[in-house]
Amino acid sequence: MDNIKIGASARTPEVDFDFAANAFSLKGECYPENIAEFFAPLMDRLKEHLARQRGARVDFSFALVYFNSSSAKAILGLFDLLEATAKAGNEVAISWACEEGDDMQEMGEEFAEDLQAAKFRLCPSE
Amino acid sequence: MLADSMYDLKQLLSGNGISYCYSGCMTEEILLGIGNAIKNHMQARETDSRTSRSVFAVFVEQVQNVIRYSTEKIVAGGSLEMPFGILAVGDLGGAIFVSCGNLVPAADVARLRANLEKIQGLDKAGLKALHKDVLRGETPEGSKGAGVGFIDIARHATRGIEFDFRPVDAANSFFTLKAMF
Repeated sequence: MDNIKIGASARTPEVDFDFAANAFSLKGECYPENIAEFFAPLMDRLKEHLARQRGARVDFSFALVYFNSSSAKAILGLFDLLEATAKAGNEVAISWACEEGDDMQEMGEEFAEDLQAAKFRLCPSE
Repeated sequence: MLADSMYDLKQLLSGNGISYCYSGCMTEEILLGIGNAIKNHMQARETDSRTSRSVFAVFVEQVQNVIRYSTEKIVAGGSLEMPFGILAVGDLGGAIFVSCGNLVPAADVARLRANLEKIQGLDKAGLKALHKDVLRGETPEGSKGAGVGFIDIARHATRGIEFDFRPVDAANSFFTLKAMF
């Protein structure tokens, strides 16, 4: 499967999906004009790929500066997909970069509350 | 005369603590442009970073609400819709505020009011729980996003939210929401 690499814009994050390495990352601002248009193609590719993984190590790294409320639902959907992937017998590690004590830290912790099988690591910077 | 009337308008705005005011067609380009100006303004004023981020987050939700839900719009060439609304950002009495106003269908007033009153009555933990419930559930009726915009605004507004409606004609009411920090 071809990798996905999209540069950041003022309101959309940098996307780096390396399917062969099972390493995925979203980095930057996230308040796209049309959330479905931005996220749906990424989710489709990811779903299709992750459904075929067994016993794999999957790394997903979030380094979001800000996301709007519509994006929150999409990110929660990503967490659900990663949790399902972990439950299907893969080792899934989610890392969540944020500034110490900011609202992104709070959001990361909230999304992580529903995880059981996937591992979550908060990476606060000072 | 010309300078008088424009100066009066400027004084009226600054007398109400308003540093940014925009009335007219709200677009995603306007959101991005004014949003950047507000970010830079707060940075220059050395507003603490958590407050700055909250103000920006609320600004985005408020402007996107106008873009998505204003019933006052003109249709420009083909299907391009230009929704109208008003935005005011400023600080008064030590509190920063972000206010938006736009027309909504009169038929939606009761639903919006009930929704906002419910949100206003919740504490931090209640807002967090409702936020998660709504994100997890089906998108609520009438919503074009995730349905958590008002909850998100209330969670960021450390000094709370206020809202009001005013009938404009048989079909429309003017709705305004103010978030304070």
